[in-house]
Amino acid sequence: MGCSSSLPANSTGGLGNINNENSATDSKNLKVKLVLLGDSGVGKSCIVLRFVRGQFDPTSKVTIGASFLSQTLALEDSTTVKFEIWDTAGQERYAALAPLYYRGAGAAIVVYDITSAESFNKAQYWVKELQRHGSQDMIMALVGNKADLHEKRTVSSQEAQEHADMNNMFFVETSAKTADNINQLFEEIAKRLPRPTPLS
Amino acid sequence: PPLLLSLSPAPTDRQNSKSLSLWAGGQAAMESPTSAASRVDFYGFLDRMRRPEAADLFRSIKSFLASLSLDEPSAEADGARVQAFFAEMEAAIRGHPLWADATHQEIDHALEGLEKYIMTKLFDRTFAASPEDAAADAEVSDKIGLLQRFVRPHHLDIPKVLNNEASWLIAVKELQKINSFKSPWEKLLCMMSCCQVINNLLLNVSMTNDRTPSGADEFLPILIYITIKANPPQLHSNLKFVQLFRRETKLVSEVEYYLTNLISAKMFIINVNGHSLSMEESEFQKHMESAKLGTQMSVASPSSSQGLATSTSGLQKQIDAEGSRFPFMDSETENLTQAELKQLHGLYRKTVTRYTLLSKALRKLSIDEDQLLASVDDS
Repeated sequence: MGCSSSLPANSTGGLGNINNENSATDSKNLKVKLVLLGDSGVGKSCIVLRFVRGQFDPTSKVTIGASFLSQTLALEDSTTVKFEIWDTAGQERYAALAPLYYRGAGAAIVVYDITSAESFNKAQYWVKELQRHGSQDMIMALVGNKADLHEKRTVSSQEAQEHADMNNMFFVETSAKTADNINQLFEEIAKRLPRPTPLS
Repeated sequence: PPLLLSLSPAPTDRQNSKSLSLWAGGQAAMESPTSAASRVDFYGFLDRMRRPEAADLFRSIKSFLASLSLDEPSAEADGARVQAFFAEMEAAIRGHPLWADATHQEIDHALEGLEKYIMTKLFDRTFAASPEDAAADAEVSDKIGLLQRFVRPHHLDIPKVLNNEASWLIAVKELQKINSFKSPWEKLLCMMSCCQVINNLLLNVSMTNDRTPSGADEFLPILIYITIKANPPQLHSNLKFVQLFRRETKLVSEVEYYLTNLISAKMFIINVNGHSLSMEESEFQKHMESAKLGTQMSVASPSSSQGLATSTSGLQKQIDAEGSRFPFMDSETENLTQAELKQLHGLYRKTVTRYTLLSKALRKLSIDEDQLLASVDDS
């Protein structure tokens, strides 16, 4: 498929930061508040639902709400990361309320729809907003969703990649419909989270 | 100990258990409010505190309350001290012989009990105590009072499929209960129950219509609409009280998320303008003006039947004086000719049509006709 994504770009943003009270519990079990931003209709909540439903660990406790979801991801190095995912309303009229939600977040996913240039503009607005007002060590991802609709694409992945690089974010294109790259997205965020230093 | 016995939590507890069951009746969920630990075992806490072994804890509580009362009340400063005290007591309870074999849940119950006890004692001092808080509460409530008169679901991007008056009414009722309780936890539960009702609605609609849920894009607009419909008492103070005095360790995750949503609903309402309701600013101002007019009328004549009685007699005089401008006003019925009756009937039809339309227009503006008539007489 031509809609396969570019995988995470190299970024150094936030790595090496320690004692982030918003993302750390102990060195093996991390907890992070992740905020979702993006225009309405880009599929923010579909991405999360895919991620949450795609995990088949029967021991994990999952909350399915309309807009708050939590899910624990186990990494290969035997650490676990509990994501607490805060969705935000994407309509223009609610934009001014976003700071209440991203305050204290350890990670943010900015989503746009690859078939909508308008939603990409909105994503750029959110990136700028986070750069200005978000916490310094926040892990940020730029996500082009609806990659399965590549024949209707209006936002090139190169353009988005460049925008992500410029802002120290990583970039990935996903399809909540086919589940393409959904897990990779969250795994990559998990890997980039600052680890607390073990007590010496 | 007289201090403990003087507390009477009874009247609100039944309502509280209803809130609890509603919240727990939702889908299976993870932490605090939804778990079995949520049942606030207040009497259990009081019982344990009455035992001689708890004398040291009891003394700490008493001296904390006494020391706080020496200073001028300030919600923010009190909040920091109360939080520090909660943390201190949590450590003390965990290490206390009375709770030596207690489960995590039992300790949690004790801490809930402690929070409820302390905050009930400090309620008058900490809840809506400053003139600024009272002013902020009035501002929010007045604003909502006006918005109620013209804001409709579509102004907030609520899709028609989610219009469910029955569910909305339940959510409204839950939110309106916040002043039935004095503890931060119970107030928070009312807010959570309201959010849970909305979540259940969203879940049901997405399942029955095979529709992808849109998360916050739908949740927040509905919560704002519910908040406007409910006009919850002292919204500002309730939010502030919960933020300052709910145990910090419990104001996390899901609970924190939903509280944040209600805080943003309040913020949206305070800053509302034409743009935020998809209308021209001039149209918004017009709506606000006529809403104010409507409010003033309801205030001016609270008893409409009385008002009407005097007003009709007043109007009668006025009409009598202007009688010459209207045909037939001074005619005797038996003297009317067939042609005049026909003319009169035509006029009657026109008048009825016009009155019906006017009446409808008034209802649309939420203006009560009787009160309007009364206000004409007053002026």
